Amino acid sequence: MELSPTPRNGGLSRRGFLRASAALGAAGLAGGCTATAAPPGATKVTIWSWLTGMDKYVAAFNTAQRDVFVELRVIAAGLSGGYAQQTNAIRAHNAPDVLHVEYQGLPQILLTGGLRDLTADMADLESQYSPAAWRGVRPDGRTWGVPMDLAPMVFYYRKDLFDQHGIPLPRTWDEFRTAAAAVKQVDPQARICSFPLNDGSFFAGVSWQAGDPWWTAQGDTWAVDIAGEGTLRTGAFWQSMITGDLVSGVVHGTQDWIAGMHDGRLWGLLGASWSVGTLGRSIPKDTGRWAMATMPTWNGKPANGVQGGTAFGISAESRVPQAAMTFLRWLSTNPDVPKIGSTFTTPFPAHLPNRAVARQAYKGGYFLGDPVYDVLDEAAKRVPDWTWGPNALRLFSTISDTFGPVRSGGITLPDALRKIQQHAVADMRAKGLSVREGKAA
Amino acid sequence: MSVLAPERAPVLDETTAEPAVRSRRKDVGGLVLAAPFAVLLIGTVLVPVLYALYLSLFTERLRGLGFSGPEHVFVWLGNYLAVIEDKAFHTGLGNVALFALVHIPSTMIGALVLALLLDSAVVRLRRMWSLAVFVPYAVPMVIGGLIWAYLYSPAIGPIKNLLGFDPLSPNAVLPSIANIATWQWVGYNMIIFYTALQAVPKEIVEAARADGAGGFRTAWSIKVPVIRPTIFVAVVFTVIGSLQVFTEPMVLKGFTGTVTSTWSPSMYVYEAAFVAGDNGRAAAASVLLAVICAVLSAVVMRFSTRRSR
Repeated sequence: MELSPTPRNGGLSRRGFLRASAALGAAGLAGGCTATAAPPGATKVTIWSWLTGMDKYVAAFNTAQRDVFVELRVIAAGLSGGYAQQTNAIRAHNAPDVLHVEYQGLPQILLTGGLRDLTADMADLESQYSPAAWRGVRPDGRTWGVPMDLAPMVFYYRKDLFDQHGIPLPRTWDEFRTAAAAVKQVDPQARICSFPLNDGSFFAGVSWQAGDPWWTAQGDTWAVDIAGEGTLRTGAFWQSMITGDLVSGVVHGTQDWIAGMHDGRLWGLLGASWSVGTLGRSIPKDTGRWAMATMPTWNGKPANGVQGGTAFGISAESRVPQAAMTFLRWLSTNPDVPKIGSTFTTPFPAHLPNRAVARQAYKGGYFLGDPVYDVLDEAAKRVPDWTWGPNALRLFSTISDTFGPVRSGGITLPDALRKIQQHAVADMRAKGLSVREGKAA
Repeated sequence: MSVLAPERAPVLDETTAEPAVRSRRKDVGGLVLAAPFAVLLIGTVLVPVLYALYLSLFTERLRGLGFSGPEHVFVWLGNYLAVIEDKAFHTGLGNVALFALVHIPSTMIGALVLALLLDSAVVRLRRMWSLAVFVPYAVPMVIGGLIWAYLYSPAIGPIKNLLGFDPLSPNAVLPSIANIATWQWVGYNMIIFYTALQAVPKEIVEAARADGAGGFRTAWSIKVPVIRPTIFVAVVFTVIGSLQVFTEPMVLKGFTGTVTSTWSPSMYVYEAAFVAGDNGRAAAASVLLAVICAVLSAVVMRFSTRRSR
């Protein structure tokens, strides 16, 4: 039923049309650019990004040297439109020189064939990056991006309440269940934390720890293993927590959640490193109540999940890839960047020397217990192997849709995971990808 | 009725040349005046529609890991079949059908009753009331959705305590979404009905009153039948609006897992285009949705002309 390649005329006119319409859009949005004039003779590099503070980094780079001039356009964040905009720009052959990709979105962007292979350009930097971040930009052993930051998950908890009621900090998931029951016993309205079912990237982060990566690139084939032993174990554990009413279901980041965190209905949070900043901003009055620890483990074997993290790629059609690389190397490895970042957030750079700079610049004062950067460093060290697949972003909606009826008892988490595995495999095969089910050989 | 038409004055010989020139000038003038509309219609409606039809016939095929990029493949009606066979699309259609069953009657009846009350003599402070009911329509849809989402949120909103059940739970979420839409659209439709009621000839109403009809009887047997064409137009708009419902469930999705990413057909299109990156399937689903809207509107209009005969 298929007529293979598109007739040439059709292809060209379509491309022309797309280019014209993308140009119209660009003209309309030009107001959003940081438009100070480029110094004469400088190479112009365009970047699209939604990273908080990117305007400050770009301004610092443009003042620091005169060979490359970076022009930033702030786009909608990730799944709120950023990925669609970048993918469509690649299709229209109108992409900026530098694109914003998260580790979890990188393989999906790669399906457009629109990113430049950076293996040779990046080879000398390998030893300077956190291994988890380095692997994140190399899904198939080639380097496709420049890592910016890493977001290991940690357990944030109300140290004041835990101490006051003599509940020890849980180090394993079994202890976590015991602690959850103790919290509920102390205050029937309170729960140890929330387990939001509509957040696929959160569930992926929690499953990551269990050591069975959902995807593995094996030669020319994807091994897909979303219902692997580790993930099913994770699912069964949280199912028992939900059935036992030991965990809240409130969605992270909502007003409901913030209120619960502040007034003692939630005693903990399984969240990524960026929650350090979020907590300080959302519940500033909670200074001196919270502490951080690495995630509880399965039977004491050190392992930790990740939720998020940013990298940048260079467009395959960029006419100035070397200048773009100059900027990205500066952005990723120059010590000025975490210094600037520390003025408005708590950066956790993927670049290890820069992480030391961020640690120095961190003001502290909000958290009790172990130093923030000690906990995050330890968490980052514990991150096991993981590869994101080319359908990861879509899978997050599938997860949230399939988990929907879990709380009302319509399905259990392990059953939902088996369904998600089937869905993912069918979706990837329908696209023409080569897929093998189950654990990587 | 021809009695009322004024008799035409006989045309004199010496002026016969002039009207021809004038009419040619009128043609040019008409074209110039219609041009902005035509350009916008072609540029923002016809071209995108044709482009969507074109997109809906193609898909992107990958090989191996997929990193070598896609190949554009013509698939005839393959995308349409994929959408028609997709259970998620069926569920979406089922959801909007139920949504429409709640939303359309409540909006129409609510708007009509309010308009009749405003039109009757019993209401004081008419302007204040009409403004109060109309204000939700002036609130941007996303903001309205967020306000309701906060009200619905079990721990911070009052509605769970008032109703005794969680308005965001699986069984309650559909009426909760319909409630937001009805809140938003009752005022708008009320204004339309009220304007139509203003145009009901006073003499018919007075004649009815002279025949002994009370306020209720006048409203039901005189006013409503007179504005029936307006009501049907409003029903058509509401039917189309219901099929395309997007903002309300999209906002609530951020607050509860019970709203899926493909809860309504419009959300299905959004998910295909912006999350899955499958433009062919998204285009096919939106064409199907447009066809369903057209058919249903035609059915309602057909029904309305038959009724008024």
